[in-house]
Amino acid sequence: MAWYVLRRLAISILVLIGITAVVYFLLYFVQGSPGRAVLGQRASPESVAAFNTEHGFDRPVLVQYFSYLGQLLSGDLGQSYKLNQSVATLLGQNAARSAMLSLAALVLALVIAIPLGIWQAVKRNTVGDHLATAASYTLYATPQFLLGLILIAIFSQAIPLFPSQASQSPSPWVIFTDPRSMTLPVITIALTSIAVFARYQRTATLEQLGQDYIKVARAKGLPERMILTRHLLRNSCQPLITLVGLSVPALLAGNLIAETVFNYSGLGLLFLNSLQREDYPVLLAYTLIGGALTVFGNFLADVALAITDPRIELSA
Amino acid sequence: MILDSDAAQKADTLGSPHREDPDLLAIRDLSIEIRSGDRIVRPVSNVSLRLRRGETLGVVGESGSGKSMTGLAIMGMLPAGGIVTSGSITMDGKELIGMPESDYRAVRGNDIAMVFQDSLSALNPTRRIGDQVAEPILLHLGGSKRAARQRAEEVLALVGLPRPSEKMNDYPHQLSGGMRQRVMIAMALACEPRVVIADEPTTALDATIQAQILDLLNDLKSQLGMAMILVSHDIGVIAGHADRVAVMYSGRVAETGLTPTLFGDMRHRYTQSLLASIPTITHDKADELFSIPGSPPDLAMPQVGCPFAPRCAAATDLCHEAAPGLTLEAAGHSYSCWHPATGPSAPMRSRIATATATIAGPEATPRLSVRNLVREYPVGGSTLFGGRKTVKAVSGVSFDVAAGETFGLVGESGCGKSSLGRMIVALDRPSSGEVLLAGDSVTRMGSRELGRRRAELQMMFQDPLASLNPRMRIETILREPLDIQNIDTRGQRAIRVRHLLDQVGLPAGVMERYPHELSGGQRQRVGLARALALNPLVLVADEPVSALDVSVRSQVLNLMRRTQHELGLSSVVISHDLAVVRYLADRVGVMYLGKLVEVGTCDEVYSTPAHPYTAGLLAAVADTDPLAADRENGTAVRGDLPSAITPPSGCRFRTRCSQASELCAVVEPPLESISGTHQVACHFPLVPKQIASPTTT
Repeated sequence: MAWYVLRRLAISILVLIGITAVVYFLLYFVQGSPGRAVLGQRASPESVAAFNTEHGFDRPVLVQYFSYLGQLLSGDLGQSYKLNQSVATLLGQNAARSAMLSLAALVLALVIAIPLGIWQAVKRNTVGDHLATAASYTLYATPQFLLGLILIAIFSQAIPLFPSQASQSPSPWVIFTDPRSMTLPVITIALTSIAVFARYQRTATLEQLGQDYIKVARAKGLPERMILTRHLLRNSCQPLITLVGLSVPALLAGNLIAETVFNYSGLGLLFLNSLQREDYPVLLAYTLIGGALTVFGNFLADVALAITDPRIELSA
Repeated sequence: MILDSDAAQKADTLGSPHREDPDLLAIRDLSIEIRSGDRIVRPVSNVSLRLRRGETLGVVGESGSGKSMTGLAIMGMLPAGGIVTSGSITMDGKELIGMPESDYRAVRGNDIAMVFQDSLSALNPTRRIGDQVAEPILLHLGGSKRAARQRAEEVLALVGLPRPSEKMNDYPHQLSGGMRQRVMIAMALACEPRVVIADEPTTALDATIQAQILDLLNDLKSQLGMAMILVSHDIGVIAGHADRVAVMYSGRVAETGLTPTLFGDMRHRYTQSLLASIPTITHDKADELFSIPGSPPDLAMPQVGCPFAPRCAAATDLCHEAAPGLTLEAAGHSYSCWHPATGPSAPMRSRIATATATIAGPEATPRLSVRNLVREYPVGGSTLFGGRKTVKAVSGVSFDVAAGETFGLVGESGCGKSSLGRMIVALDRPSSGEVLLAGDSVTRMGSRELGRRRAELQMMFQDPLASLNPRMRIETILREPLDIQNIDTRGQRAIRVRHLLDQVGLPAGVMERYPHELSGGQRQRVGLARALALNPLVLVADEPVSALDVSVRSQVLNLMRRTQHELGLSSVVISHDLAVVRYLADRVGVMYLGKLVEVGTCDEVYSTPAHPYTAGLLAAVADTDPLAADRENGTAVRGDLPSAITPPSGCRFRTRCSQASELCAVVEPPLESISGTHQVACHFPLVPKQIASPTTT
């Protein structure tokens, strides 16, 4: 197991370095002159050139890339010239808040989707199953911002249960300190995931229900509920583990919409604002985080699979 | 139908001289329906069976005969949509049908337990086997977790799992198929049930392992005083291990009786035909197998008359109009047939000459020649520091097949016979060695030349449903090889397709059909026709009848034997079934762990086996021959197949051989001639080497 984790970790690092290269060169060719971007359209060509020289932007791109890599290794994500703050500080403030939001939504989605999917599989092709399926497809097809707006219209305006705006406190722990204000954002993100997760769980459960060991468990005289919890659950959650791993970066994108709709300052909102400001160092870091999350999510999923399925280590 | 149940009850009273009811389990007039949507299938109709204390009742039938469904009904575990429409199942006088689910659960695994067919998924892949065996103990007998695990360990030791305390913590995938089946049996026996239903307990296992498991079940049955219902499609398994037998066909019991009576003096026409259609290792090859025309009926269609009537040679109008009632022949022997037979049918003289057509003299170039073929597959991911592990699937196999000759390859799963077959038809490249087709090296051919020559090398696959493209019509499937090889004009190809269908005995009407619209036997005929489409020189048939129902197998076997002789094909027939190979082949090669251990003509190998492994295989099969006189088991092969990743040193069979000495561990025995065409790779062959052969010390 340790060997498997180490191997995966080594591969993850290689992939991450690859991501930095692709993203760095892409942004380099998109952005043109950083000096111009920072100093604005009216700055003289001389001052732009001076800025570029001062910050090393006149060096060949490969040299710049490797110096950027060097900075990354020492934990320096660069400098946002627009906000005059280090990118690391900016991200640090917002990343924890975004992570809490995503995590809460993910946990909520799993807690609902896994039992729902299993229930649907057990009650397959009944009215309840069909209704749940229809609801899943509807939710999945609804754009997330619309979902947020609908929730606000219903649960904030028509029935004033929850505030329409997320908490503005800078603490990352607002989910616990002010749960009411965070309810709608969390549900908005969770709903889409529930739809997808429940579908996966249903399919996986159906497949496992057809396996012989379920029949064997029944022949032992186990009650249905125990068959589901003791035998089926662990075997049926494997496709979902892979999916959750893959959807970790997608949660970040989900944040982007929910954070905008509910005006919650997190990574998503920071990204949107940076995009408008053409603040490339921040965008670069954000994209890297997306890449890192993808790699990390896959890695976590692989480890989780190896833990839940004793057969996997063999094929490592 | 009232007649049926009356007769069944009469049979009951007649068969029980004691005042105390000897029947532990009694099924009366059981009918089952399975509804899915508008479709109603009746897998079981008016079945009456009884199981006495301490006896083994064999239930034999093909797929769809209702045998498994009857077993599931006893367990109260009918599939979704399944209901018992009439009848009763009583255990010790207690009615099981209609019993509340919570009460039924207390019976399941406790009073009545079930052993299922081994499959990788029969045990939960993510739980340790110790916990899985302890589970029913904890559930039914209560007590502490520790005590349950202790008991589980005892039961695992009882079923012969080596080092049970260590294996308790293994996961199912770490065990071999035979060991998994032992675990499955342990799980069923953990609570010492009074009735065990074993549903195809050895179907997925190799012959040598099958014999071990069946003997184990038999021993445990008497040791624990249980009664057993042994369900199988394999008449041999039933004949060798049941006290009484019920033959099922199309959801009904065709005939029941004591085992010797039923097989020696059967009355039902189906029992008689079925037995005559199965090749055995003692069957005279000059006799053609009896083949039952058609295929079993569709159970979704309402049945009128005797279900076997459409396939029965003795059927009259009466059979098509009215279902025969139960006739009681003697104590315990009853059957449902209007025109009962009197014992086994006489063998049928073959319509083809059995003397092998034209085997060219040794000076001629063999049609097919396999030279030192080796195939190793890498396993697992490569470690960071090289040193890849490989499965040694085929390790240096050589043999020749003359024109018109059929060479049989037998061996258990994992012996490399299928890998070898794939290399012969160039679907896979050998790691070393070569395949020569009429003297030309297929292995060294470039892709262009190989593409052309592929026409001469064709293959018939095991599962016709999986090997025929489900979205192509039969005509397209048969025409495709001709299109690819660009043979003839369009019109001539259509004629050729028609001719091919005719050759394999299919009506031209199937051309417009899709594979799923055909029966299993018809599909395998298409598989043969497809392989014959290009007039190949060599045909490799890999398990050609394993996927087919028993009553359909002989149709395909006879067809293959006929075409082989008519077309002068050189064939390689690969099978785990010794009887199938014996029926089709002129010469046989026995494979074990990637090596040929014995080669010879059918007579040589089957009547005077020289390798202990061959002898063991034959003993395992003889044990299940329905008509075999003696069932001694002296030469049984012990233990499990070793890993093909790290095969044993010296002779690969030595770990399971009773004759093995130190020499066997050090020196690998070469394949040497012991007499004429008979070759064996063994230091201590069971047949003495003739002086003519080069002597070794």
